[in-house]
Amino acid sequence: MNELLDYQYVVYELCGEKYAIKINEVYEIIRLKKITYLYNSKSYLEGIINLRGKIVPVINIHRILGLENYSDTKSTRIVILRFNDELIGTIVDRVIQVAKFSDIQPTPETVDEIDGNYFEGLGITQDGEVIAIMKVDKLLNAEY
Amino acid sequence: MCKLYDSPEFIRAFLDEVDEQLELFEKNILNLERDPNDEIIRALFRIAHTLKGSSAAVGFEKMKTLTHKMEDVLDRIRTGKIKVTKPLIDVLFRCLDELKTLKEEFSSKGNNIKTDITLTLSELHKYISGDQLLKKTVGAEINKEFKLDLEQQIQIQQAVASGLNVFVCEVKIKKDCVMKAVRAFLILNFLNQLGTVIKSEPDMTDMNDNIDVESISYLLITEFDKEQLKVKVLDRMLEIESFNADLFDLSLIQSQSDNGCNVTKDSGYEKQNTNEIRNKTNQTVRVDIGRLEKMMEMVGELVIEKSRISQIVSLLHERYSSDNSFEDLEEISNQISRITNELQELVLKVRMLPIKQLFSRIPRLVRDLADSLHKEIELVIEGEDTELDKTIIEDLADPLVHLIRNAADHGIEAPDERLKAGKNPKGTIRVNAYHQENQFILVVQDDGRGINLNKVKEVALKKGIISRQESDLLNDKEVLELIFKPGFSTSQSISDISGRGVGMDIVRNNINKLNGVIEVETKEWEGTKFIIKLPLTLAILNGLLIRINNEIYAIPVSNVIEIVRLNEKEIKKIKNQDVVIIRERTISLIWLHDYFKVRRNIRNKNIVIVILGIAEKRFGLVVDELIGNQEIVVKNFGSYIGKLDIFSGATILGDGNVACILDVAGIVKTTAFKKSYDKEFA
Repeated sequence: MNELLDYQYVVYELCGEKYAIKINEVYEIIRLKKITYLYNSKSYLEGIINLRGKIVPVINIHRILGLENYSDTKSTRIVILRFNDELIGTIVDRVIQVAKFSDIQPTPETVDEIDGNYFEGLGITQDGEVIAIMKVDKLLNAEY
Repeated sequence: MCKLYDSPEFIRAFLDEVDEQLELFEKNILNLERDPNDEIIRALFRIAHTLKGSSAAVGFEKMKTLTHKMEDVLDRIRTGKIKVTKPLIDVLFRCLDELKTLKEEFSSKGNNIKTDITLTLSELHKYISGDQLLKKTVGAEINKEFKLDLEQQIQIQQAVASGLNVFVCEVKIKKDCVMKAVRAFLILNFLNQLGTVIKSEPDMTDMNDNIDVESISYLLITEFDKEQLKVKVLDRMLEIESFNADLFDLSLIQSQSDNGCNVTKDSGYEKQNTNEIRNKTNQTVRVDIGRLEKMMEMVGELVIEKSRISQIVSLLHERYSSDNSFEDLEEISNQISRITNELQELVLKVRMLPIKQLFSRIPRLVRDLADSLHKEIELVIEGEDTELDKTIIEDLADPLVHLIRNAADHGIEAPDERLKAGKNPKGTIRVNAYHQENQFILVVQDDGRGINLNKVKEVALKKGIISRQESDLLNDKEVLELIFKPGFSTSQSISDISGRGVGMDIVRNNINKLNGVIEVETKEWEGTKFIIKLPLTLAILNGLLIRINNEIYAIPVSNVIEIVRLNEKEIKKIKNQDVVIIRERTISLIWLHDYFKVRRNIRNKNIVIVILGIAEKRFGLVVDELIGNQEIVVKNFGSYIGKLDIFSGATILGDGNVACILDVAGIVKTTAFKKSYDKEFA
C-alpha cells in the first residue's frame, strides 16, 4: 500500500462521485469529440475516435461500473490511458485536479455500491476526503 | 557458424539475387528447348557463373558445387562438345529444381543443408565425362593433388580474372640428384621470380631435408605462357629430368570444401567481389519492405490531413473570400493537394512490381503439365508488365497455379479428342493481365471442352454439396459457382495435378483475402475463362462512402459490382430472405440495420442497393444514402478491440471523423444472410 503514496493522481468525477487514477497511466486528456459507434460484442465499448490520425477506442466506464450513463456536457472529457502499449479512451464527467494522498486504506468490498475489485484502495487527502483509486487493468479488461 | 552468416542484409541480398537468377535461368531453359542458340547458352552460362560466385561468397558449398558442375556442362554446350537434347534439358530443369530447394533450405536453416545433390551431380557428370576425361587425364590427376584454402582460391580467381595464367608445373628431379629437397626449394625460388607460387605438392613448408622427393608439383600464377615457362626453367635449372606445365583446371577450386573459418577471414574480400558483380547487373536499391510500409503509413496520414485542409479552406471560402491572404491559403492548399497526390502515387508505385515475376513461372508449369498429361498446349502470356502491389503478387501465386492446372487438366482435351471435335490438336491457354479503372484484372482462359453444367450438378449432388430440390432451382450461373465449393472436383481420378477438390477452394480463399472478385465464363466445347479482379494495393484504397443509420461506412470500391435503385415493391421473399432479381440473377439482400439492431428506415419508396462481390459470391447491401467516393487509408483497430466480424478496419474522413470500413467477406460470413443461405445450399 505504501508505494501508492508516492504517486500523483488525476482526480475525476463520475456521476457526482470522485475517483482517482495514477497520473503515469494517463496519456492525455481531451474534450469529448465525435465518437464513431462501432458495432461489436463488447457493450461497454463506446466507439472509436481519431486522435491526431490514430484510431483510439473509447470505453464507457459508467456502464462498466453500473452507473447512470454520462451526458454530454461542457466539462465531459475523454481521459486517454496508456495500457499495454495502446491508447484507450475513457469518458469522465469532469476532471478535477491532480493530487497526492496522505494515506491509503485497503478497499472495502464495495465502494458506492461498486464492486471493490475495481479499486486499488481508498486514498485520503490532506483535507480528509476519501477518493477511490481505479485499478486500470481490471477496468479495461472488464468482461461484459 | 562464422560471422558472415550473421549479416542478414548480406544473406538477404544473396537470396534475392538467387531468386532473380533462377527466374532468368528458368526462362532461358524454356527458350533453349524451343530454339537452342548460342545467345541463350551464353546467358545460361552467365547465370550459372553468377550463382557460383555468389554462393561461394556466402560459403554455400552445395550450391557452389552444383552451379559449378552446371557451368561445366553449359560450357561444353557452348563450345559445341555436346548437343542440346531433351534429356539434357530435363537435367537442367532438375538442377533448377534442386537449386530452388537448396535456396529454400538455406534461407530457413542457414548452411545446414540436408538436400542431397549427389544424384543430380552424377547426372551432370555424365555430360562432362567421356571425352574430357580421356583427354585431360594427366591434368586432372595433377590438379587433384592441390587442396586450396579460400584465400588461395580467391588469389587464383583474381589472377584468372586479370588475365594471368595459372599453371600446374610438374617437375621431376633427376634420380641421382642429392639433397632433392634443396633442389626443390631452388626451383620454387626460381618460379617465384617468374610469377607467384601459391602452393606446392608435397608442401615445402613441412618438408624436411631428408625426404626423398622426385616429383614436385607447383601451382604457379604467371604472365608467361606454357612454352616460355618450359624454356626458362629447363634453361636455368639443373638436374631436372622433366618439366611439364599444364593449365590449372579452375573448376577444381570449386569442388573443394573448406571450413567456415576461412570464409570469415576473407569476407571483406568476397563481399567486395560480389558487390561489384551486382553493381554491374542492375542499378537498383533493395529496401526493407517494413520501411516502405512505414512510408506508406506516413503518406496515408498526409492524405488525411490534406483532405482536412481542403475541407477547412472550402468552409472559410464564404466568410473570407475577399481577403487576399485567403487566396494565398487557397493556393497553398491546392499545392499541398497536388504534391500529396503525387507523393502518394509515387510511394504506391515503389511497392508495385510487374506481374512478370509471377508469370515467369507459368511456362515451366505448362511445359511440365503438357508433358505429364500427354497433351499439346500452347501458352500465350500477355501483359506481363502490368504492375501490382508486391504483397498481392505473392498471394496471387497459388490461385494462378491452380487455375492453370485446371485449365490443362480439365479444360484442354487430349490431341486426338480435339482433332475429332474439329479443333487444332494443340490447345491454348491464355493468361492476360491488365489494369482497368484502378483495378487489376487477371484472366486465365483455355479453349478446351468447357465446364459441363449438368456434370457439375451431378457431382455436387453426389458429394452432398447441394440437395436434389436445390439443384432444380439453380440457374446456370449458380451452378457454375458450385465449382468453388470445398470438396468439389469433377475429375474422375485423383492425379498429381488436380482432382482433390481443394484447388478452387484455395483460389477462392486467396481472392477473398485480397478483397477481390472472381468470375467464370464457360461455353461447352469452346473453353472456360476465369476473370479475377483485385485492388491495386491494399494500403490505400478507393472507398465508396455510404450511410446506414446516421453512421458513415466505407466499402472498398473493388468489391462494388454496381449500384441500383429499386422500388421497395421489387423486393421479394424466398424462405424469409429478401431478394431482388437483377438481370435474371437472384440477389440476396442484406440489411445491416438488423445486424446493428437499428430500424430499417425507408424514407422514400426507392431503396439504394449496393451490389457487392467477394470472390464468386454476390449480394446486395441496402444503404440509406450514398455519399461518394474517397481515397481511404486503412487503419487497424489495434489489439484492444481486436478483430471484428464485419469491419476490416477504420479510416479517417476529411472532416476528421472516423468511419469503419466494411469487410465484405466478413459480412457474408456473419450476417443473417449467411444462415438462410447456408440452410438453402449447405
